[in-house]
Amino acid sequence: MEVSITEVGPGDIDIDPAVLCGLMGIDPDDIPEPYSGIIQRELDEIKNYPNIKGGFKISGNIDILSPKGVLSYEGVEFGAGKQVVDNLSNSEMAALYICTAGEEVSRRSKELMGQGNLLEGYVTDLVGSLLVEGAMDILHEKLRNEMESKGLRVTNRYSPGYCNWNVDEQHKLFSFFPEGFCGVRLSESALMNPIKSVSGVIGIGKEVKFNKYICHACSSVNCIYRNIKHAV
Amino acid sequence: MEELLKQIAHCVEFGKINQASPYPPDLKGKDGADELTKKALDQGATAEEILTNALIVGMGKVGVKFRENKVFVPQVLMSAKAMSAAMAHLKPLFASGAAKRKGTFIIGTVQGDLHDIGKNLVSMMVEGNGYEVIDLGVDVNADTFLTEAEKYPHAVIGLSALLTTTMVNMENIVNALKEKNPETKVCIGGAPVTQDFCNKINADLYSPDPQGLVEYLDKLAS
Ligand code: B12
Ligand code: SF4
Repeated sequence: MEVSITEVGPGDIDIDPAVLCGLMGIDPDDIPEPYSGIIQRELDEIKNYPNIKGGFKISGNIDILSPKGVLSYEGVEFGAGKQVVDNLSNSEMAALYICTAGEEVSRRSKELMGQGNLLEGYVTDLVGSLLVEGAMDILHEKLRNEMESKGLRVTNRYSPGYCNWNVDEQHKLFSFFPEGFCGVRLSESALMNPIKSVSGVIGIGKEVKFNKYICHACSSVNCIYRNIKHAV
Repeated sequence: MEELLKQIAHCVEFGKINQASPYPPDLKGKDGADELTKKALDQGATAEEILTNALIVGMGKVGVKFRENKVFVPQVLMSAKAMSAAMAHLKPLFASGAAKRKGTFIIGTVQGDLHDIGKNLVSMMVEGNGYEVIDLGVDVNADTFLTEAEKYPHAVIGLSALLTTTMVNMENIVNALKEKNPETKVCIGGAPVTQDFCNKINADLYSPDPQGLVEYLDKLAS
């Protein structure tokens, strides 16, 4: 199957100010000035970020090699590690994805910081992270609905760089997409530009399970996915 | 004067920039770091006195609270802003040589990496603790670090990275700097960096937070 692109309207992503406050370490029920004004302003600013988009490349030509911790995708072997591969077990297809909040949000954050508006710049940076995760939630949900109509289920999403899956393997992932897909480019050092971008894989099949990440044994104590949400 | 310096330290610690700034609520309407610093200079305090006995005191407290998770990034940024309002009065005095800082710190996000929030936080904390900071930005290669290190031979260098794939570029930079001048101290940090990695590439310090770096710099400076 060819790659598909979904554009996400900025208005479609619902960022909960309480989540933003949580990331900032402030009590959402009692937000002091200047925080509340800045949060409101930066959430209003979201309408000016036109390039939030992402897409999938879905293939049924896959093999899950559990003991080796390998996902073979159209003949390319991803060393995704045992934890990820176990969570993909029973997949009949897999969807690779790339998703971005676009560069506007990072540009604004940089500009604000450069002008000495540090807090504003920081809030904008957080908004960018929440936007790309929010966009990916929408894409994930869309995929789930499509697959459900065919009697299939989807797994959680798994990204290179998490759960012992080497971040460098993004090069293999990007090789399945056209150059500059959704405006995202991968550098030699496996950094996506725009910064507020994510990549990864979702398993699809009749018998797959939606497992939360199994984080208790992992040393990445600050990981954003640690034991949270993702029970879509 | 002592009281005035204490007030400035308090403003920096709690992020009270100037009279107009509404934060923190309990200091609303009162003078902030901006006005109080000017007042202290007018009353004859030296730039060094203000730096040492007010700004560094305030920023040091924020650094410790940040390390202990008692405050978060936004409060650090408010403090940094208050500090920079005070520094605006002091910078001309440092630039003219009329006053001195504790030392120079050169920082950059390493080649191949574009992340800057963490690096910026480190810069602010180090500056607030009395050092001149030269921020080389992001995607900085070994040559640029070498050139700057040559300009400031006693400067300590800081390297930041946020991915394991860009972190590896720290090794070349450390090697290049040490080859040119084995005395150069290089500190490293960022989410994927560990003490093991620091040992492996012969860097001089790894710290998970800016405060550890400040303490190291202070030890070198003393
Ligand atoms: C928010 C976030 C995102 C957001 C935004 C990215 C961004 N940076 O803007 C999104 C969702 C887009 C994202 C995407 C990805 N992410 Co991410 N992300 C994070 C997260 C949770 C926070 C990063 C952050 O902003 N921290 C806040 C700043 C202030 O902290 P900091 O930069 O670390 O700096 C502090 C210290 O490290 C220290 N410090 C920093 N520099 C220096 C220098 C010196 C000298 C010293 C002493 C100290 C020091 O002081 C600072 C203040 O305390 C981290 C995990 C974490 N908790 O760090 C993962 C993390 C950085 N991401 C990771 C990964 C893998 C990715 C992706 C590759 C995943 C994917 N395949 O999609 C992509 C890559 C994106 C890209 N552009 O290439 C990994 C990187 C490790 C690795 N394996 O390489 C991390 C570490 C998570 C993990 N697995 O543990 N990510
Ligand atoms: S904390 Fe959980 S999601 Fe994050 S890297 Fe570890 S196991 Fe994976």
